[in-house]
Amino acid sequence: MASKVKTLIKKDRLRFTKNKLSAGLILAAIAINALYFVSIYRSDVGSYYYNLTIGVSILYNLIFMLIAFLSSEGVKNYKIGYAYAAIVLGIVQIGRIFVLPSQAHAAQNTVVGKEAETVMLDDQFGYVAICLCLSAALLICAGVIGIIKTTTLRNYQAELDKKNEGNNQ
Amino acid sequence: MSGLQLQHLEKIYDNNVQAVFNFNLDVKDGELIVLVGPSGCGKSTTLRMVAGLEDITKGKLIIDGNDVTQTPPKDRDIAMVFQNYALYGHMTVYENMAFSLMLRKESKNTIHQKVMAAAEILDLTSQLNKKPAQLSGGQRQRVAMGRAIVRTPKVFLFDEPLSNLDAKLRSSTRREILLLHQRLNATILYVTHDQTEALTLADRIVCMSMGHVQQIGTPLELYDDPSNLFVAGFIGLPPMNFFDVELRAGQAICKDFTVDLTPEEQKLLGWHEGKTVTMGVRPEHIVPGGTIPVDVISNENLGQNTLVNGMVGKHKITCKFREWCTYKYGDIVKVSFTKKHFFDRETTNSIR
Repeated sequence: MASKVKTLIKKDRLRFTKNKLSAGLILAAIAINALYFVSIYRSDVGSYYYNLTIGVSILYNLIFMLIAFLSSEGVKNYKIGYAYAAIVLGIVQIGRIFVLPSQAHAAQNTVVGKEAETVMLDDQFGYVAICLCLSAALLICAGVIGIIKTTTLRNYQAELDKKNEGNNQ
Repeated sequence: MSGLQLQHLEKIYDNNVQAVFNFNLDVKDGELIVLVGPSGCGKSTTLRMVAGLEDITKGKLIIDGNDVTQTPPKDRDIAMVFQNYALYGHMTVYENMAFSLMLRKESKNTIHQKVMAAAEILDLTSQLNKKPAQLSGGQRQRVAMGRAIVRTPKVFLFDEPLSNLDAKLRSSTRREILLLHQRLNATILYVTHDQTEALTLADRIVCMSMGHVQQIGTPLELYDDPSNLFVAGFIGLPPMNFFDVELRAGQAICKDFTVDLTPEEQKLLGWHEGKTVTMGVRPEHIVPGGTIPVDVISNENLGQNTLVNGMVGKHKITCKFREWCTYKYGDIVKVSFTKKHFFDRETTNSIR
């Protein structure tokens, strides 16, 4: 009985509180993504990165931050579309490991004296992979929590509306 | 809820200005006390001393039997509602009401239950997701009250909470405060300069002037039996009319008119025979028909009654007649007094 009441209060609380947890997780994901791109962009390995890929990467990072921030605000206000957007962003983050970092990790360094090394060393690859995985996990968590909370709130609101209709009749 | 005792409270500021002199008051559990007086009389200072926002220079403050004179405001277990609401603009109504409980680290479910209960009392349930800027003045003030209610404090302090509202809203919010008091049976200390609020809300009124308590009593006591000239003039709207009269042979003789004293008044004023005293007459105790001629200056019809301002010789007089009148400037109306109050001219105290 007590747990039922607790659950009910928890549901009712959703009507007046924002989903700050999901919003916070997405902001954390943005911060961790920043660690990733700072690590890539400060690499000093000759002219390897001076091509179109890095331009696209920079552009994507800007778009990522924008969409992630919008998602953070959206999930805060229980908008389910933004929760899905967060999950999609999270999945893309995983995919990103196999684009720039993986390619750089496999490419041979052309700097004189460092021919035996790869463009991205194991340490840096590990670091950026962890950053991207972590931000992906945070985004997916935020999205899933957002979907659960939004659905719970919607169902509860529908229940209340039904009750109110019954009372009015 | 609990009682409150203010014992010989005094406030002297650093520049040696004394704002409150020897304030004594015993507030019973569940009582609504209104501090009333003109601006600068020390009523807000007294309230702020109770709240802990001003240091107490002398005296003792006891809440629920505990001396809290030196206790910091947060530990006094009181809640204050300000004139300007003091709401957080970036928070919703729900968050505003929940904020103090969140600071106390109460569980989220408990906070929710308390906020919902307070919102229900104050009819704010449908406004909980709004920000203060989206609310009317009355609703904002209700939120401020809700924020106080959720804390279930020992004493509620209200510092001119209705001053920012228009007349209509003030009247309805006043009714809500009264209902709230009845519902919560809360101990409330309420400051206002509006005597209508004081008379309608208070269990007891403390009338103050220049830092001194002038009279403490029920609204009826202050209206019907004012202890001195200040209280007589301050309580009642329009204010009481005053005349200097000489008491002689069962009559109160003014330069411009003479009135006969009743046997009770003669007995009361026996010691003052031959002396000049101040006679006070409330406008509603003046009726048409009699021997005192009033030279009409203005006639203000209020619907239910009419305010007639005029002169009796060199004295200004305001009469409140129950009927609809149509006097014009220059008309002469003969009136009589149904009830009179007498005050000593030197001490200004009521002659009882």
